[in-house]
Amino acid sequence: MKGTVIAVTGKGGVGKTMLSALLIGILGDSQPGKSILAIDADPDSNLAESLGVEFQKTVGDIREDMLREKPSPGVEKKKYLDAKVFEITVETDNFDLLVMGRPEGQGCYCAINHMLRDIVDNITKSYDYIVIDAEAGLEHLSRRTTENVDSLLVISDASKKGLDTAKRIKDLTRELNIKFNNLYLILNRVTPENKDVLEDEAGKLGIEVIGSIPDDPEVSDLDLRGRPITGISQESKAYKEAENIARKLIKNG
Amino acid sequence: MTDKIPVEVGIVHEGERIRGPDMFLELGGPKVKYKAELVQVRKADEIEDGKVIVIGKDIPEFSEGDRSSFGILVDIYGGKVEKELEGVIERRVHDFLNYIQGFMHLNQRYDIWCRVSKDAKEKGLTFKHIGTAIMNLFKTAFPFIEKSQITFMTDEAKVKEHHDMAIKIYEERDKRVRGMKDEDVDVFYACTLCQSFAPNHVCVISPQRVSLCGSISWIDARAAANVDPDGPNFAVDKGELLDEKTGEYSGVNEAIKKATNGANDRFFMYSMFGYPHTSCGCFEAIAFFIPEVEGIGIVDRNYNEAAVNGLKFSAMATQTGGGEQAEGFLGFGVEWMHSAKFFNAEGGWSRIVWLPSHIKERVKEAVPEDIYDKIATEKEVTNLDELKKFLQEKGHPVVERWGAKGDDLKDKVMSYIQEKDGEIYPDEASKDLGITEDELMKIIEKLQEDGALE
Repeated sequence: MKGTVIAVTGKGGVGKTMLSALLIGILGDSQPGKSILAIDADPDSNLAESLGVEFQKTVGDIREDMLREKPSPGVEKKKYLDAKVFEITVETDNFDLLVMGRPEGQGCYCAINHMLRDIVDNITKSYDYIVIDAEAGLEHLSRRTTENVDSLLVISDASKKGLDTAKRIKDLTRELNIKFNNLYLILNRVTPENKDVLEDEAGKLGIEVIGSIPDDPEVSDLDLRGRPITGISQESKAYKEAENIARKLIKNG
Repeated sequence: MTDKIPVEVGIVHEGERIRGPDMFLELGGPKVKYKAELVQVRKADEIEDGKVIVIGKDIPEFSEGDRSSFGILVDIYGGKVEKELEGVIERRVHDFLNYIQGFMHLNQRYDIWCRVSKDAKEKGLTFKHIGTAIMNLFKTAFPFIEKSQITFMTDEAKVKEHHDMAIKIYEERDKRVRGMKDEDVDVFYACTLCQSFAPNHVCVISPQRVSLCGSISWIDARAAANVDPDGPNFAVDKGELLDEKTGEYSGVNEAIKKATNGANDRFFMYSMFGYPHTSCGCFEAIAFFIPEVEGIGIVDRNYNEAAVNGLKFSAMATQTGGGEQAEGFLGFGVEWMHSAKFFNAEGGWSRIVWLPSHIKERVKEAVPEDIYDKIATEKEVTNLDELKKFLQEKGHPVVERWGAKGDDLKDKVMSYIQEKDGEIYPDEASKDLGITEDELMKIIEKLQEDGALE
């Protein structure tokens, strides 16, 4: 079985984690019985917080622990790591969450990283949907070895920098040879005033736009109060548009 | 008696995860104190073939969401089954249990973590089914198993007893793994994981030589090669032992020639001279030769100060790494210090003169008692002059080499001077003799003191 892999990326602060969390929530509600794995692959964001769950450890922490404390010589490290990764996977009724954590630090981790990569790739095979919150450098995606990304979503707000990053990500997928079936652009914080210019500029990037999330006071309110985005009301404009996006992804996936 | 197992059994179910919401029962795992699995070889009359024993509750007797202590004991008998095979067979418990649909097994030994799905429980899965299924799988995989019997324990007191007994057996096994010799096996393993960084580098991993990064033991490499024989860890037929001291094997030479596209074609497994093992960039520690004392110093990645030769780990790493054979420098995994083959060619621990104190403490057990106090750390010595004094005071075995080297050099300088009819130029002479000008002048002074020169 191979689940549908959806990766969300974009410049920091443009709403990437919000969109990831909204999609996870919507998939959970609209696809009962389907299993969902959320992967936080951006050390600078906090998907767990947006989803309203807590986590204890990251995959990066396991790697560091492993270097400090080696298991007995008769123990197979991969089996050991496999269980460790399962142990740090946050389980909820609607989805599971895996936090990747910091990228490699000092020292070399080729062997350990190789095992962990394999383990994470294997785990994703057990889920119907995998939603990855990926940093704009696409580091995590470039390291995946076996599974293709079905839909790569690039999100941008109404800023030149956001759109420039979207363009750079498009180029990067080619450089890093990241395999995906669909590449989509999603516009965020769209207002009646900026809509036309934004869509015009976005059109120049040559990426299909499959959603325009309106500037929604409810989102900024939740953000300001530090509440999980999954608590948003289903009538809000942002939720409705995220639902439309999810519908397109399910159909295409 | 043997009613049919109500779920599918097959390799397709391997890797299947049972998520929290789908779980009926958790057996073992990080939230449970006692759990252990063990395979034991028995005598023919000690076990009853095909018998499944359940001590404590069986699956249907639990309630949804329960968590339990868990013990698995597989007893086997076979005329050809040796005690040493227990570990190998035990590794397959994980695979076979995972073949069972709706049953998940993670980890090993005293860390096992199993889950039974709600779906499997609904279908009426019991330990009897599971036991019978995996005994069949064992007999297929290992036809030499003539009889097998399996015990599942969920009774906490019984699991604790089993756990305590198993711990002792694991310790024995670890001792055996540590004691395993390169002579005991025909196959070593190669690791090319680091070739993305050092294209000419390949690690050769033997029972007595862990990978440079310290992460892959012979056992890990074997496990990886069994799963993916064409992957980055593959078997190397060690071939003929060409030199016992340096650890040169014909099969290793052939394998590295192939794996490095001909860049290297000889490896000394236990030496830092001649054709030393290459280093990627991943080594846990670096050994560096100190010509001034005829000894070997060691510095590890976590030591941030300059080593006794005045160089930091990072500076030496540049010289050591990259997949080149660099005589006098060697990257290695710290566990190698426990090996009897540790610098076998150079004289092993009797050549080690300096290492960071935290490493000395960590490998204390591995250091021969009579040499332990003669090896300096940063606490006693911070430069070469202090090191020389320290080694002399402590009577380190390398000191004996100094005189010998001195006499050799004296002879060499004497014959050089004679060859040149007494007309020598220090800069040219030092180059010809492969020593520094300072050293040359000192030797000449000594020769004058001896009266050999005027």
